[in-house]
Amino acid sequence: MSLMNQTGSVIMMNVRSIPQRLWMSVASVVSIALVVAVLLGFLALANGFSQTLKGSGSPNVVIVLRDGSGAELNSVIGRDQIDLLAGGPGIKLGADGKPLISAELMLVVDGIKKSSGTKANMPLRGIGPNGLAVRSQVRLREGRMFAPGSNEIVVGAGLLREFAGFEMGKTIRFGAQTWRVVGVFEAPGTVFESELWADAPVVQSLFKRGTSFQTARIALTSPEAMPAYLAYIKSDPRLQLKAQSEQAYFAAQAERSGLLIKYVGWPLGLIMSVGALAGALNTMYASVASRASEIATLRVIGFSGFSAFMGTMCEALVLSALGALLGTAICTLLFNGLSASTLGAGFTQVAFRLQVGPELIGQAVILALVIGFVGGVFPGLRAAQQRPLLAL
Amino acid sequence: MTDFDLVWKNLFRRPLRTGLLIISIFIAFLIFGLLVSVNVALERSSESGTAGNRLVVANKINFTQPMPIAYVNQVATITGVTAVTHFSWFGAYYQDQAKSRFVGFAVDPATYTAIYSDQIKLGPGQREAFIKTRDGVIVGKALADQYGWRLGQVIPISSNIYIKPDGGRALDMRVVGIFTGAKPTDPTTALYFNYEYLNESRTFGRDQIGTIGVVTASPDLNDTVAKAIDARFANSPYETATVDEKTFQRAFLKQAGDLNFIITMVVAAAFAAILMIVGTTLVSAVRERTKEIGVMKTLGFPGGRVLRMVLGESILLSGLGGGLGLGVAAFMLKGLSKSAMGASFGDLSMDLSVALVGIALALLLGLVTGLVPALSALRMNIIDALGRR
Repeated sequence: MSLMNQTGSVIMMNVRSIPQRLWMSVASVVSIALVVAVLLGFLALANGFSQTLKGSGSPNVVIVLRDGSGAELNSVIGRDQIDLLAGGPGIKLGADGKPLISAELMLVVDGIKKSSGTKANMPLRGIGPNGLAVRSQVRLREGRMFAPGSNEIVVGAGLLREFAGFEMGKTIRFGAQTWRVVGVFEAPGTVFESELWADAPVVQSLFKRGTSFQTARIALTSPEAMPAYLAYIKSDPRLQLKAQSEQAYFAAQAERSGLLIKYVGWPLGLIMSVGALAGALNTMYASVASRASEIATLRVIGFSGFSAFMGTMCEALVLSALGALLGTAICTLLFNGLSASTLGAGFTQVAFRLQVGPELIGQAVILALVIGFVGGVFPGLRAAQQRPLLAL
Repeated sequence: MTDFDLVWKNLFRRPLRTGLLIISIFIAFLIFGLLVSVNVALERSSESGTAGNRLVVANKINFTQPMPIAYVNQVATITGVTAVTHFSWFGAYYQDQAKSRFVGFAVDPATYTAIYSDQIKLGPGQREAFIKTRDGVIVGKALADQYGWRLGQVIPISSNIYIKPDGGRALDMRVVGIFTGAKPTDPTTALYFNYEYLNESRTFGRDQIGTIGVVTASPDLNDTVAKAIDARFANSPYETATVDEKTFQRAFLKQAGDLNFIITMVVAAAFAAILMIVGTTLVSAVRERTKEIGVMKTLGFPGGRVLRMVLGESILLSGLGGGLGLGVAAFMLKGLSKSAMGASFGDLSMDLSVALVGIALALLLGLVTGLVPALSALRMNIIDALGRR
């Protein structure tokens, strides 16, 4: 019998005998599944947040903030600067033949977070007629857009999901003014879904902002037009502004979510792996011990030590693969698409959904198989080194 | 040979197996100790520095919206208010905006240091110097140590919000005091400087403030005073929302996300895993010993004593793993609270209540995992036991 055949039959023998050690094997599978589920949960949380940020940025939209202000909230841009911005090269023209530039202001208002019942920061954005034109992902789901010059608000679907108080048709008070919700818009997988929008001039006057704005978004004809436009802003000394592509702006914010994975997700996953590994080793040593006479018999009739090793090894790998499968299933069923929200870089809440993706599943499965491999090596060696006559 | 010796010998008759079990129990309790302690520290930091008779007045729209400075004097006239101060977020950073941002407020020096004297402990004469010096700044000890700032030094502190008429962002401030917190473990990574100095040098937002701090005559008056303040400014362009300090800080902390839920899930997962591992291993360990238990019963060991010995073994096992896990967690927390990142959490050391809950959990785990094998040992018939192979 060739070594291949020998090994193959021992592996089958091992795997088929798993039900004999049912409960300890189940314990191993479940503990590995829980490690996979916890790690995958954290990866999905961070992934959902960063995908939402990355999905918000367009490569042919420029976002302009005052130089030195890290966030929209701290920025100030005057009307005169907006006019200068409109004079740059490569700007796309709207249906009315005018450059597509959206001057916006953003301020923070309170909403009630549904999960905790406490106050949370909501972004209220004042936008002009071009606000929709520079955001191709957005469409109205319900109701209508606010009428220019009126105290009307449209609400993002993500904000509606996570926060109470902004339902369709509701009247809201900000300070002494009342506003009415007239529409709901959606922009799946972007931060815009977590915002309230109203007419910019109305927001300026009711919040005493004069004619100042905070950011400008400029739609260019193509991503290739970006360098020329950024150079235009840099070269004009009247524009002490920081311009970048919207894509780069949001990608920088998405980096933060990597910290969660680096400092919490993986360390926790690895610590738990050690516990699961101890369990797997125990199960496999017990398996070797319970099959001692079987292994010895095989050795006496001429099976190699290698086949005994591989039999134990593959049993451990099968158990860990089952654990990976179960863990992925638990995490996908429980967490995938789950809605959550946190305080984003703009000091306002960002609503997002947890996303379990193939790449993340791959990482978690590798961890499970490493546990299986290490959990199989040592018991496998013991099986291979067993002295047949002694065991019999 | 006492029963304990027997339990001990039984536990370690297969040292490798017992060692592995202890490792997995150890891991679960390590995770429990670390995560729950961090959660407790966060909850506590939302309460640290709060006092029962202090209120926070902010713009009703959101606390980032401003209020006129005239409100301070108007709040002071409301019945039940014994002291008032104000503070405004500055968006402070030192040299590099991306790497060195910290908490910085523009305050009224005299009233602020009086009301929050429990959190801002200054050396002799430093409070007076702060009140007198227009460009004075008081700096938390941790912050001063981090950048090597000394008393009398002039440091440029920049704002990511305000701009001076010349377009600059940095205000030169003179260090007139270095403060410590109420407890040595309290985070002191903030600085406070004179509101007047900011107000005269900024190009917008003049005569506006961020937040008003109020002391009431007694905590019982909090609700009445809060309502009176908000009623005073109702229907004005700047309506207010007044809450006690604890409520304000807790709401802010909750903005980050549902930490309690995440921690509960992770700890539950860790315990579910060891429950399975330890439970099934102990069942097979006692099964292995069936014959011995038969012999013991033949020798006249009563069923209850056999039951106690098996339970004793499982409790000893989880006690060893749990104790070790909690101990190492406490040790790691101690190290962590000395690091720069841990310091911002405040006091990270393990609470006695966390340790006690951990010990109770270890006992419970021992009971639960030992129950099935112990009962099967109790019910075991001598004839069957001796016959079983």
